[in-house]
Amino acid sequence: MGARENILRRIRAAQGRAGAEPTEGEIAAVRADIARRVAGPLPPFARPADRLAQFLKECDRLSTTHGQVASERGVPAEVSRYLASQGLPPQVVGWPAYAGLDWASAGITYDARPATGSDHAGLTGCFCAIAETGTALLLSSPAEPKVTALLPETHVCIVREARLVDTMEDAFALMRAEVGEPPRATFFVSGPSRTADIEQTIVIGAHGPYRVHVIVVS
Amino acid sequence: MQVQSMHFKRRASEKLDDALLQSNMKKAKGKFVDGRAKAVAEFGPWEELRSHCAALRDRVIANLDAYLVEFERNATRRGAVVHWAETAEEACAIVADIATKNGVRTVTKSKSMVSEEIALNDRLEAAGIRVVETDLGEYILQLAHEPPSHIVAPAVHKSKEQVADLFQEAHDRPRNTDIPALTREAREALRDDFLNADMGISGANFIIAETGTTLTVTNEGNADMVTTVPRIHCVVTGVEKVIGTLEDFASLIRLLPRSAIGQTITNYLTLTTGTKMPGDVDGPEQMHIVLVDAGRTKLVGSDLEPMLRCIRCGACMNHCPVYQNVGGHAYGWVYPGPMGSVLTPAYVGLENAGDLPNAATFCGECAVACPVKIPLPDLMRKLREQQFDRRLRPWGERAAISMWSFAVTRPGLYAFLSRWGARVASWIGGREKLIHKLPGLDGWTKGRDMPAPAGRTFRDLYREGGR
Amino acid sequence: MKVGLFVTCLVDLSRPSIGFATLRLLKHYGCEVVVPETQTCCGQPGYNSGARDVARTLARKVLAEFRGCDYVVAPSGSCSGQLKHATVHDLFIGEPDHAEFVALSERWFELSDFLVNVLKVQEVPGRVNGSVTYHDSCSGLRELGVKMQPRYLLQMAGAGIAEMEGAERCCGFGGTFSVKLGEISTRMCENKCEAARASGAGTIVGGDLGCLLNIEGRLRRTGDHATRVAHFAELIAGGEG
Repeated sequence: MGARENILRRIRAAQGRAGAEPTEGEIAAVRADIARRVAGPLPPFARPADRLAQFLKECDRLSTTHGQVASERGVPAEVSRYLASQGLPPQVVGWPAYAGLDWASAGITYDARPATGSDHAGLTGCFCAIAETGTALLLSSPAEPKVTALLPETHVCIVREARLVDTMEDAFALMRAEVGEPPRATFFVSGPSRTADIEQTIVIGAHGPYRVHVIVVS
Repeated sequence: MQVQSMHFKRRASEKLDDALLQSNMKKAKGKFVDGRAKAVAEFGPWEELRSHCAALRDRVIANLDAYLVEFERNATRRGAVVHWAETAEEACAIVADIATKNGVRTVTKSKSMVSEEIALNDRLEAAGIRVVETDLGEYILQLAHEPPSHIVAPAVHKSKEQVADLFQEAHDRPRNTDIPALTREAREALRDDFLNADMGISGANFIIAETGTTLTVTNEGNADMVTTVPRIHCVVTGVEKVIGTLEDFASLIRLLPRSAIGQTITNYLTLTTGTKMPGDVDGPEQMHIVLVDAGRTKLVGSDLEPMLRCIRCGACMNHCPVYQNVGGHAYGWVYPGPMGSVLTPAYVGLENAGDLPNAATFCGECAVACPVKIPLPDLMRKLREQQFDRRLRPWGERAAISMWSFAVTRPGLYAFLSRWGARVASWIGGREKLIHKLPGLDGWTKGRDMPAPAGRTFRDLYREGGR
Repeated sequence: MKVGLFVTCLVDLSRPSIGFATLRLLKHYGCEVVVPETQTCCGQPGYNSGARDVARTLARKVLAEFRGCDYVVAPSGSCSGQLKHATVHDLFIGEPDHAEFVALSERWFELSDFLVNVLKVQEVPGRVNGSVTYHDSCSGLRELGVKMQPRYLLQMAGAGIAEMEGAERCCGFGGTFSVKLGEISTRMCENKCEAARASGAGTIVGGDLGCLLNIEGRLRRTGDHATRVAHFAELIAGGEG
């Protein structure tokens, strides 16, 4: 405990407070400050007239492709179309929540399990999506592993239009209301992985997926 | 990392003559600056956002101890183990100890400037542990046995040909200079380690007091794997990284990628809170968070305190004409550019980095670019004041300031000296009115002439009612 | 209108013609000009070398010398920044005379800013043929917002402005920096010279003599004796009389 005490004591001394531990009153003040949740300024496009249009515009900017279907029943056909358009095999590893869809009719083999390093395409849903930045928010849970969005070269993400919010702040508010505290991994995905580490030249596809395809379910 | 900052002048001189470095720096030039300018312009209330974020950082720093304790309490509640390290050595020892106790053989790492600062890799390797840097830039530098030269784009000083040479040797594959192909090669080379490492080490862009969360901001997706796949996750971060709430993060993340590279958001943001939860199929069984001081708390309450706001975006160095000409390695430690010129003397001692606060024209571009409004030139000037007060600058420089101070505060003497100075210098300038060499001013005259004075001072001509 | 002329130490020592051009301009627009004889320096070299005390002493000296002037004008953004900005935002915070420096700061103007925004001049006496390129010096630009003012004035004189790439980038002068870290300073200056030459203009114009000496010194050392380097005051003030 020596280091902890010394560090805290040094900070307190520099700020004219005695001791090596914040008082209950000081902690309470910090909690009160936290509870205030002072909101920061937003750009005009964070409150768009057409939320979906804003979301898709940002997806384009981040090299996320997208398709739209009228209901979840349409997802397998859209996945099939997408994989074929990319010349990818009709095999998907995905979250169990989508195992009940009629994948066979769309000619797709669907494996309901967490993805591994050798899987080509991973299918996930998301907790919600953010229009301001074209972002899908994934919250980890036993049935919703993060690896499925990360390890395969292709990530297909189902976004329900009703779960589209304006901003990250709105997403956090929704999380607090429905889930409470953040789960182990709170994972924001905004397009395929990229790097510009060699000569500042942007290359799509670094360690994460090469392709992110969002399917919006109206 | 060993400090070489006392040799700034010599190192900068070498870098100016390094044709390959100069050509590599030219290629990168402008990309960051133009990208940021565009992103800032389309944002709208950018100045309001800067003020908001500077204020929220200041609010935490003013109560840093309580925020850290609140963070510790929440992180612990979620199953993480929080460690505190006063020095670089202590931090390294803590991480090495975790690794050895758990029989760790391979560590994957995502980019962490704090780990560079404390030379963590050397320490782990000395303990027989294999350390694999996974950020593409850091991976390149690990192969080259070099430190990063930029805090966001660590290998900005390397050309694709240099990367190709390194990869050819390391991967035992035919040489290739195509950038997408080189990127894929690194991906393939690192895949097995990503999947099989025993421990992942990451830094943290911020840690959140409210929830006990640590988080990483990346484009490559490497940090997201490093924090998810191995059975142990260890975060090494500075005590100043704490912020209050998730909402504070939402504001800061509007600033950070725009300032760094002109992106509205990075491809991945991973907020990690505690260990694997019951039933989870991924995530680490152990999570350790090492809070490193190593000089940071010395800044609290000092003139340099605003530096603790820094969010490590790199905008100051991208906009710095000195950095852009000499590159990051000239600065001789982990942090280059304007932020480094304040942090390095503050962390390693002003006597070891005396030229850094002087390596600025005070052009002010960094202060304009800084997303959290750190007055970098003012802070460098504060360090110059400390040097002046502690007589740390060379004798000749101090003597010159003393003599100048004596003269300019005595108008009669000053008029006399400037009258004769103007005459003599004008005479030295000769017919072409150029001075090629001036004693004591060879810093100027080595690469430039000094246009000679006209011969009479304004003061004298004006008094004569002249001209 | 009584206007105090802060000549600046560099103009006094090295290029009195800039001081006289400023004088002619102010008189041309009907100002009553006073030039305190005891003025020396704004204090910036001391301030930026960490010598706060002498910077304060000199600022107080300037304050006393220009008491009673409606305005103070300087043909330099750098010295103006020192007296308008450093005094108010740093050197005299908490000092008894802070309010006086605030008042001085409000009366103090860089020359082009004064002509355009205070006098609102519509014509200038001088004529400029052909195009010039303008180097924005750092303090004027970033501390005082001097950007379009000198360009307007040059255009009034008939000059075309051929903007160089990176006009707002530092030329590498930086006061004592130019001597302490001469090699870096020289490289920054070389970049500036290249950009200025690429603009195609035969004349490089600026508003701070420090930058101009730096740029001219580099041009001449590298064998360029053709490109002209001038302060905007010299160009817009016209000849004597």
